[in-house]
Amino acid sequence: MLSKIRLGVIAELLNAEWVAFSDLHQATQATHGNLGAHLAKLVEAGYVAEEKVFVNRRPQTRYRLTKAGRSAFVQHVRDMQRLLKGESA
Amino acid sequence: MDSLTASQARDHIEMVDRILSRSERSLHVGGEFFLAWGLFSTAVTLTAQLVVDRRIPANSLWVLPVLLAAAIAFSAIRGRQLGKCKDGLSLIQREFFAVLWISLGVAMFTDMVAYRIFTTWASSAIWTVAAAVVLFFIASHGNRRALACGIILLGSLAAANLLPAFTGYALAAGMLFGYAGFGLISLIARD
Repeated sequence: MLSKIRLGVIAELLNAEWVAFSDLHQATQATHGNLGAHLAKLVEAGYVAEEKVFVNRRPQTRYRLTKAGRSAFVQHVRDMQRLLKGESA
Repeated sequence: MDSLTASQARDHIEMVDRILSRSERSLHVGGEFFLAWGLFSTAVTLTAQLVVDRRIPANSLWVLPVLLAAAIAFSAIRGRQLGKCKDGLSLIQREFFAVLWISLGVAMFTDMVAYRIFTTWASSAIWTVAAAVVLFFIASHGNRRALACGIILLGSLAAANLLPAFTGYALAAGMLFGYAGFGLISLIARD
């Protein structure tokens, strides 16, 4: 979650259901390889669920935020806000 | 959190804010569609009621296919423009448009193929139900204006049922204030 790309991916998934890899690629502007590596880490951590489907006969990999991912995101944002408050105090 | 500096944390929070506000803002894009279809539905129902009340001649109904064609043409042109938009559609926007087109498409299909089942006012009421589904979907993303307008639509449905002499007026008012009104408010709020 400390990576900016991973955080961006989770924020993109926050208000959506399943999101295609290509859409995340467009949203984050990361390279395919870099985004793939970050998504693999999020899937491994159980923060994001991955599914392979066929859309118009073409294979598509899509992702969805899990409950664990949502909780981790909320906790991470709280931690960052606490860090900033501590700095300004 | 130990490996994140305050500067990085600030940068990350700003990015999250940007993404979330873009998601929120995206639901306002459809304002013009709500306005166009809300006005079209109001015109259809109001014209029908005025014909029933013999306040205007029955041949005034010729204007309805023209209005329908205008609403479809506007939606197609504007939808195409949005599709070509430089930033493309955001994720939530895509989901929202899917719900919008499916609800209105099902309502139109039902009206066209089941015209013996859904006669006269039932035909108009289907559009009210479809419009309410769209607004409550938007409300589920935290939009209170959509919730209020959805309630107006359901209220008009109940009023139409309880006031048989004013059924068309009640349904037309619901579409005008609930649906077209939501479109207008969304367009104003976007700016």
